[in-house]
Amino acid sequence: MSLRDTGRRVRLRRTGRIPSDAGVRHYDELSDDEQGVVRELAGEPWTAPEIGELDDGDVVKFTDYYLIRSR
Amino acid sequence: MSDSYVIIGDGIAGASAAETLREEAPDAEITVLTDEGESLYNRILIKEYAKGKLPEAPISIHQEDWYDDHDVDLRLNTVVVDIDVENDAVHTHDGETFEYDSLLLAIGGTPQQLPVENADADGIHHFWTFQDARNIKESVEGAETGVIVGAGLLGIDFAAICGAQDVEAKYLMRGDNWWRYALSEEGAEIMHEAMRERGVEPVFGSGVDHFEVDDDGRVEAAVDPNGERHECDFAGVAIGLNFNTELVEDTPLALDDGIVVDEFMRTDIDNVFAAGDITTFNDLILGERAKNGSWGSAKEQGTIAARNMVEYGSEAFEWVSSYSITHFDFPFLSFGHPTLGEDSVEATTADGEWRRVALKDGKVVGGVLIGDLSPQSAFKQLMREGRDVSDQTDALMEPGFSVDDLAAPTEQ
Repeated sequence: MSLRDTGRRVRLRRTGRIPSDAGVRHYDELSDDEQGVVRELAGEPWTAPEIGELDDGDVVKFTDYYLIRSR
Repeated sequence: MSDSYVIIGDGIAGASAAETLREEAPDAEITVLTDEGESLYNRILIKEYAKGKLPEAPISIHQEDWYDDHDVDLRLNTVVVDIDVENDAVHTHDGETFEYDSLLLAIGGTPQQLPVENADADGIHHFWTFQDARNIKESVEGAETGVIVGAGLLGIDFAAICGAQDVEAKYLMRGDNWWRYALSEEGAEIMHEAMRERGVEPVFGSGVDHFEVDDDGRVEAAVDPNGERHECDFAGVAIGLNFNTELVEDTPLALDDGIVVDEFMRTDIDNVFAAGDITTFNDLILGERAKNGSWGSAKEQGTIAARNMVEYGSEAFEWVSSYSITHFDFPFLSFGHPTLGEDSVEATTADGEWRRVALKDGKVVGGVLIGDLSPQSAFKQLMREGRDVSDQTDALMEPGFSVDDLAAPTEQ
């Protein structure tokens, strides 16, 4: 299980520009839990509890590129 | 004296094995030999590089200093020419010999070439390595028309690359629809429509009889078996892999469309293991030998192989794989073995959403989800549990399906 009890919440923001120093991962590299959160948040203005190894500033390639924001 | 481990291959299977070996055997000597000129990179993302969507840097996973930090001896551009399993040694192209206590073969495959005239012409590409992706990107950026061959999970990457790079392309398929072994025409039509929206036209009942080239030997057209001529200055061919077994053909290792291993990733030689695309493994979930080419499966096999190289029998490979296509504005996912099984159920669950589940002996062995991936965890769970769902297949097609929707399993 990869939920972290940090009290922080994540959201996904669509991004078109990928910096060279970004950590980019494809949907297929994520755990089942991480994939579930990406499916739930992609393209939506919602948040979810911080998850697994997805850190603020990371980028996930799903149906688009999504920047992880954690607050 | 510490144990010595030699790994041939620095893809995700070999690299995850090296990482696990270092954790499990801190004092061991670990050597990784690869014929590629660069260390581990993200093979899932190289298509994004070829599409022009991603710069090079994020695709690298292990910089060379990773190997120094983990005391792993990495040898790039090193071709293994002989494996001597009698004397526990491998020999390389430049005359070096590496002796081992335990050997891991993570030697993968090589894309198949079409057996047709001019199949090796300039402008015709296969897609496997990062260097292939660089060559494809350079070629496709200068192209106006393209042809794609290979109606499967790798071929569709070429379609997406042509679409992203504004190349007008024809996708030549032998059958009536894309990935006909896993999708019906109804499901495949969703994919066809997505291709058309990106300027890639599926052509059915087609294929390639031969390529035509100009005076410089560069491809200028593909001619299909019906005599139809399709102009192209770029061609992408993805018709499958030849597994790199020639290296072990003179050894006693059992081969069956790859190197045969048990559920602990061990071959029939006690100190020789294999992992990744090259294996034909004992699939505990399916109950028979299987192959799997997904990134997650290769990574897990490398980890499991390493643990069993240190202590045989310590952990079995038991994994439900999945592979997604994220080129379009809807997701696609295949899981397990969608082309196997003697029965299947399928349904359109909403506009643009379709699913198919393959069954063997009443149990889920794989499937395809288009549009709505939410039931993927439930289907994977059913596969892991080996649950008989033969009398409840309608429930599998319900939107929002979860395992709790099924009647509780009865004692057998």
